[in-house]
Amino acid sequence: MKRRPLIIATAMAAAMALTLSACGSGDGDDSGKTTITFLSWTGEAQMTPVLDAFATAHPEIKVETSYSPPVAEYIQALQTRVLSGTAPDVFLIAAENKTNLIDGGHVVDLAGEPFLDNVAEFNQETYGRDGAVYGLSVSSWAAGYAYNKDLLAEVGYDAIPETWDEFLEMCTKLKDAGITPFLESVDQMPTTISSWVGAQGASMSPTLDDQIFSGASTFEEQWTPALTEYNRVFTEGIMSKDVVGLDGDMVRDEFANGRVAIINAGPWIIAPVREAAPDLNFAYSAIPGIDGNAPFLAGAASPGYAINSKSSEAKQAAAKTFLTFLSSPEGVKVYQAQTNDVTVTSDFDPPVDEAFAPLAGAIRAGDLYLPMISWQRSEDILNVEAVAQIQRMIQGQITPAEVAKAMDSKLAAS
Amino acid sequence: MTALLNRRSPAGDAEKIGGRSTRRGIGGGTAGGWKQITVNQAFLLPAIVVFVFLFVIPLGQTFYWSLTDFTGYSPETNFIGLHNYKVILTDPSMLAGLSFTLLFGVGTTIIITALAIPLAVQLNKAFFGRNFVRSLWFFPAIPSMAILGLVWRYILSPLESGVLNSVLKTVFGIGPIGWLSVDNLAKLSVIVVGVWGAVGWHAVLYTAYLQSIPDDYYEVAKIDGASPRQQFFAITLPLLTPAMVISTFLLMTGGLKVFDLPYTLTNGGPGFSTYTITQSIVVSGVGQGRYGLASALAVLFTLAVGLLAFGQLRLTKTIERRFT
Repeated sequence: MKRRPLIIATAMAAAMALTLSACGSGDGDDSGKTTITFLSWTGEAQMTPVLDAFATAHPEIKVETSYSPPVAEYIQALQTRVLSGTAPDVFLIAAENKTNLIDGGHVVDLAGEPFLDNVAEFNQETYGRDGAVYGLSVSSWAAGYAYNKDLLAEVGYDAIPETWDEFLEMCTKLKDAGITPFLESVDQMPTTISSWVGAQGASMSPTLDDQIFSGASTFEEQWTPALTEYNRVFTEGIMSKDVVGLDGDMVRDEFANGRVAIINAGPWIIAPVREAAPDLNFAYSAIPGIDGNAPFLAGAASPGYAINSKSSEAKQAAAKTFLTFLSSPEGVKVYQAQTNDVTVTSDFDPPVDEAFAPLAGAIRAGDLYLPMISWQRSEDILNVEAVAQIQRMIQGQITPAEVAKAMDSKLAAS
Repeated sequence: MTALLNRRSPAGDAEKIGGRSTRRGIGGGTAGGWKQITVNQAFLLPAIVVFVFLFVIPLGQTFYWSLTDFTGYSPETNFIGLHNYKVILTDPSMLAGLSFTLLFGVGTTIIITALAIPLAVQLNKAFFGRNFVRSLWFFPAIPSMAILGLVWRYILSPLESGVLNSVLKTVFGIGPIGWLSVDNLAKLSVIVVGVWGAVGWHAVLYTAYLQSIPDDYYEVAKIDGASPRQQFFAITLPLLTPAMVISTFLLMTGGLKVFDLPYTLTNGGPGFSTYTITQSIVVSGVGQGRYGLASALAVLFTLAVGLLAFGQLRLTKTIERRFT
């Protein structure tokens, strides 16, 4: 009778040992397959066809996939696994974790791998540093202005003008006609400001961010003109200051219901808008330029597939086979069919929604800019600060220059 | 045994006997006493183990991290002394977070207590459909505050098409009002939704205590000619002080730790006007990989909450002793 606790304890220990040994399985299993683990950012429903296609093409490799939704939950799940030494063999490197993953030496340098040959240079550079490439990014996204063609036609326009002054003039006409001209959610970095800073920095060498982060320039110097121009939509009464209380979904719903003529938006609103308003006649446009710059887009390379530097050589080799499939025309085709992303591999032309087609060329060419992914350190710290200070500027509490100064202070303190 | 003691001696003697017995146990002196003490202490062991593993060790670990530049990605850290504490105490956003957190914690505690007690008195009276009405008030306490925040975000939308603004325009011809886009209104909105979500739960807590007050007290008071108002202030309120101690303690500690409601309703905005300390800890730690800084914030916050809770307990205990 007294032995029972000992037996139970022994059984539990054995069960735990078995479980742990199962978790830490070796490079291959009994069937001779190499097993790699993969933490997917994309949902299970969308990723399963891609994994099935890979399994058919490479039966010698088994991919054990777990899922975690983006963004914060994924970042935290991966971070916990990296810290505990149980990181998957393949995972996603994103704007939010790239600095920590690269600095910590957690990702393999993929530069020179054949599966990167067909990938746009912009996407390689986004997840690279000093010539190294740490992620395979096969698609990009961008946000511009989505506009209601019928509402614009009421004031004599058939497209978004190319300059900011002309854009504001059009918005005034819309407002005079009793139409809410423009809504942009500012719960994240405004699309408009991102595009202007991107357009301004596109021709700079060294880049705008190199200058700021090396100390050669400041946010105050580089960002104040864009912030000042942006503030005009509020000081001239074109956009309501109430946008500081809106999120992207609310702005989208206003657009779908025909209550606003123009909004900032990416491709993710197309499906819900078409579902809510099948007859809505809308299209996308790049964001009108300031200071003589051409229209530009806010956007970035999608998160890249990275390989765990702590994985064994055999698993890294299998992981590279997996990445080779993901960048192949066959793999990209299946992936694109599931996600509707604008893919950027040179040997596959992705079908794009008619409304979004005007932006596809710039996306594939990499004419995009997103501050958070281009900043060289303290990305999220600066982003949180910038968004909060821009909201204060919109409310009239501080000036555009003070927004930029606050970002300089944050960078200096971080 | 108690019955036997009561039969053998008056209540006072019984307590005396009981007291002597306890003292003998504590004082020891016999093998049986030590055995009893060991058994008694053994019952505390699970609680102590849980306390040590789930509170003391994590708190110690948090304090250690607060003195390092731990990023959450590597166990290798550098000791940086009190640098994280210095950053916190000079960061305007952290100070703004502290300000709204205190406002929310104190504001909701006072308002909910002021509303829940009269509500409990009404819910304790007999009327048709009482259980249904009680359920209605209790309902907001069931779903997660994060869900309520998302729902209220649409209700309080500052747009003309927002639910509340549509009603105000249709009924009174006013608006739209920037419930979530003006600093003070956004703060007020978060507090009001917080109150709405918790007042029913605390009213039920008070109702439970109300039901334990003997009817005799009220009957005697009526015979003595006491008005309903006098009955409330002379009988009900004093006898509810134990419930108030529990309720206000839960409200204050919960209010100071609030995260989900402001995060989903306003995301801390506009600017940093509804930013909370807990949001700051989560954003700094998880979002920005600054676990050292987030740990320092957590240490300071734990101390502040501990001090506030201790002060509040002392105050409510004093009030309790004064009225009971």
